[in-house]
Amino acid sequence: MTAGNAAAPAKAPVGKLGEGAFKDKEKPTHIRMSNIEAAKAVADAVRTSLGPKGMDKMIKDDKGNVTITNDGATILQRMKVLHPAARMLVELSKAQDIEAGDGTTTVVVVCGALLEAAKKLLSHGIHPTKISDAFQRAASEAFNVIETMKIEFDLSNKEAMMKACATSLSSKVINTHSLHMSELCSNAVLKVADPEKNSLDLKDIKIVAKVGGTLDDTELVDGLCLDSNAMGTTRRMEKAKVALIQFQLSPPKTDMENQVVINDYSQMDRVLKEERQYTLNLVKAIKKSGANVLLVQKSILRDAISDLAIHYLNKLKIMVIKDIERTDVPFICKTLGCHPVASADHFTPEALANVDLVEEISIGGESNCTKFTGIQNAGKTVSLLIRASNENLLAEADRSIHDALCVLRCLVKKRALVAGGGAVESELALKLGQRAKEIGGVDGYCLQRYAEAMEVVPYTLAENAALNPIEVVTELRKRHNAGENSAGINVRKAGVSDMQREDVLQPMLVSTSMITLATETVRSILKIDDIVNVVGRG
Amino acid sequence: MNTAERLVLAGDRKTGQSVRSENVTAVSAIANIVKSSLGPVGLDKMLVDETGETTITNDGATILKLLDIQHPAAKLLAQIADQQDYEVGDGTTSVVIFAAELLKGAEELVRQKIHPNSIIAGYTLACKEAIKYIRSALTIPTAEINRDSIINAAKTSMSSKIINMHAEFFAEMVVDAATMVKFSDPKGIERYPIKSINILKANGKSAKETQLIKGYALNCMLADHQMKKKITKAKIACIDFSLQKTKMKMGVHVIVDDPEKLQAIRQRESDITKERVNKILASGANVILTTGGIDDLNTKYLVDAGCMGVRRVLKKDLKRIAKASGATIVSSLSNMEGDEVFDASSLGQAETVEQERISDDELIIITGTKKQSCCSIIVRGANYFMCDEIERSVHDALCVVKRVFESKSLLCGGGAVEAALSIFLENYADSMSSREQVAVAKFAQCLQVIPKTLAINAALDASELVSKLRAFHNESQINEGRAHFKYCGLDLSKGCIRDQKNAGVFEPTKIKTKSLKLATEAATTILRIDDSINLHPTEGKQKSYSDALAAGELDG
Repeated sequence: MTAGNAAAPAKAPVGKLGEGAFKDKEKPTHIRMSNIEAAKAVADAVRTSLGPKGMDKMIKDDKGNVTITNDGATILQRMKVLHPAARMLVELSKAQDIEAGDGTTTVVVVCGALLEAAKKLLSHGIHPTKISDAFQRAASEAFNVIETMKIEFDLSNKEAMMKACATSLSSKVINTHSLHMSELCSNAVLKVADPEKNSLDLKDIKIVAKVGGTLDDTELVDGLCLDSNAMGTTRRMEKAKVALIQFQLSPPKTDMENQVVINDYSQMDRVLKEERQYTLNLVKAIKKSGANVLLVQKSILRDAISDLAIHYLNKLKIMVIKDIERTDVPFICKTLGCHPVASADHFTPEALANVDLVEEISIGGESNCTKFTGIQNAGKTVSLLIRASNENLLAEADRSIHDALCVLRCLVKKRALVAGGGAVESELALKLGQRAKEIGGVDGYCLQRYAEAMEVVPYTLAENAALNPIEVVTELRKRHNAGENSAGINVRKAGVSDMQREDVLQPMLVSTSMITLATETVRSILKIDDIVNVVGRG
Repeated sequence: MNTAERLVLAGDRKTGQSVRSENVTAVSAIANIVKSSLGPVGLDKMLVDETGETTITNDGATILKLLDIQHPAAKLLAQIADQQDYEVGDGTTSVVIFAAELLKGAEELVRQKIHPNSIIAGYTLACKEAIKYIRSALTIPTAEINRDSIINAAKTSMSSKIINMHAEFFAEMVVDAATMVKFSDPKGIERYPIKSINILKANGKSAKETQLIKGYALNCMLADHQMKKKITKAKIACIDFSLQKTKMKMGVHVIVDDPEKLQAIRQRESDITKERVNKILASGANVILTTGGIDDLNTKYLVDAGCMGVRRVLKKDLKRIAKASGATIVSSLSNMEGDEVFDASSLGQAETVEQERISDDELIIITGTKKQSCCSIIVRGANYFMCDEIERSVHDALCVVKRVFESKSLLCGGGAVEAALSIFLENYADSMSSREQVAVAKFAQCLQVIPKTLAINAALDASELVSKLRAFHNESQINEGRAHFKYCGLDLSKGCIRDQKNAGVFEPTKIKTKSLKLATEAATTILRIDDSINLHPTEGKQKSYSDALAAGELDG
């Protein structure tokens, strides 16, 4: 071990090498073991958060903000892991989040178990490349097994969608509201999904999170919901014509160097009057186009809308909503079917959107939000208004709903479900174990270990649910051996039962992507045989 | 080697039992601070912040808000106190004490090798059952609620505060104030918007001199003492701009080459505003309230016209006055042609507007507003701390009164509900066969912390009193003939058990149910945590991989 060299780089540079050069080098076996240990530590850290009865982590970040969550990807992202190999697992969970959106804890736990298996195999003197290849093979065998468990699904089956959603939500804080939430998510997805192209853009679902009320008040807005207040006195508009403007309704500022010079008192009146006239002309142009609801894009250059302009718009009974984020503009345009207006000269009636009702709704907290319902020529988008009684709960609800939506996105991408609750992993353990015996040799030996590693999921689920893990896992083995391939852990009834009958379903994509990603990460960790530590400048 | 120790982070990490104990310790520490403030004989805290600002209070939410709490779990507890304050307005101390007790109980159970999940399930179940029981058995029938019982509820809320000597006096006042602002919303539901009760503080005299004023009291003075002190049949203009000499904006330069023109420009500056004032006066306004200033010149015009002018009115006051009097706040005079006019329809009406002297301050009092009635409470007290504390107490009492008026549902106070629930849940636990039983029983045991603390704070023998109280409640639940014992609670001045219903110690149901729910929610949230990661602040050099390597933390 030469780590001691790095302790004093400033005092005694090693040899003649200067800064930015090789620092130290370690023996491959040692490096491999150290990497595996570090990565396993990460898996251990999130293990207790797996499953519906998983525990939460409390993370206080460097600015003192506290996050309480049991979402694997969030936990790993927030805690700053230093070891590079451990960081790979953080990336792994992020990848699963992007790919499938759920199962972020599972993938890390499985990866940890596979690493443990690899460690044992290494200690038996099997070459890392051999192990790596065997694991790759095991992964493709695993696909075949999962394929046999597949339950077909099509988009008309809303019930199945809700079940998958409920499974994803069951592990979250908001699980008591899972029925309500899964219905909302399913409806939202059905509205925006494009069945032809097998695609679902989650950007078409706008999530607005607001403190105030309870989770039960969370609702799907058929139309548009904006997180902003109406400015003036008009708070409600029926038969609205909505215009989205990207110019400012305030008097232009002169440039720094330019100045308006007055040398007569009559000019003072003119200056004041001009300012009024300028704003008035803009407002009149808006009125002329027939618009009665005005959305004003946020401006950093100057006030997006001046008090004077609001005063005029109030007089004309035009509803004003300001501070629309630039990034929201495309979504709003798509939803309302309007065009953003960049200048008062381009104000044409064609750019407006017709909406039956625009209304500011009060949420109980300090801020309100605005709802647009009954949009004519509406785009395929939808808004989801999440409400909760406090910030922590709201943030967790937001994350959970994101996960649930991702699950549904998986279903749209690949229309197949599998049983949850550790059923897939148990089945994999059994079938891969049998396959291992058929293959034989080093490959078979590695495959056997791979299969055993899969049992970590049911084992941990049982452990977290305060069940006896040995009893449960052996019972599962027995059932799967008897051909019940959808037997899994029933946390509610504290035992083993048929997951398909219990409605615990998850998208197949979550399982397959978990296998691929975990295996690939293990393989890449195995292949590392050296860490080169370059000392940076300063 | 334990792999959990090998996770190298830019921060500290604690897991399992140690994090649980740490959370419980932190939470208990917080609860211990507020513990001695519970109940009618609770003591006060004096809090001095870094700028020397002093607060004396025994309101749980206020204490916790002022403490600079670092520990995240303890922060969570402060949050629930805050939420209780926001949602129901009272019972903030008891919610914190109860949540801490639940956690302490849970930790004991975890030490006995009971899985936190079983405890969570048990607590949630117990909370649900408790609320069900409160609603079905413990509430006082709506028919028996009258003005007296509402006054009693307000008295109960104030009994723990500094003003308990004058509880009767304040309770009457609070109930009167709430009735004064009552209105029916479009759906026909009666509303008590206690926010429209303006509470002002004036130092001096005694708490007993606190007065309720029918009308809106505005903590401002007339712009000039020559103005009329009282105007009847007032027409109020609420304006949101200054009546001062008009200044040109930035970027506009005035350059003159003739001294005479200079004078003309100055003249014009004041004339622009003069025209505005005249337009407002022409519409018939005789009271002008502005958020901006009124300069001397314009004051003169107002005095000449016999019009009251009040400057620097807070925007929120102006909004309330406009709402009550039916005025519209005018932010600019210009009309759709770009000219300036003042529309008479934006004037509000009130019967009288008067400047009155109350203690050292002059107040403007607006009575008989046209649209909605409003009222103000002027709090008097020997010193500022006292006034502040009275204001908080009155606010709590107002919240209580509002709840009772709106929900028409009351419970007995003084530990009666907790004792009854404790007995009920213990019996309920015995009827369960699942493993949540232990947790439910623990929940029942934890409920006793409230009567116990009440007794301790009153310097009484807590063990004896609480057992006595429990005996009464047990009797009431097993013996139908003695069902009325369920209203029994502690008499803290005499040190015995009494019927709280007769004694008139009432609390709104919502306060109890909400505090049970919030405390359970907070306890379970903290129980679910089994890992705590505390990242180091980013200031200075961050711990990097090479540092960790150098320190030998990565050695296998």
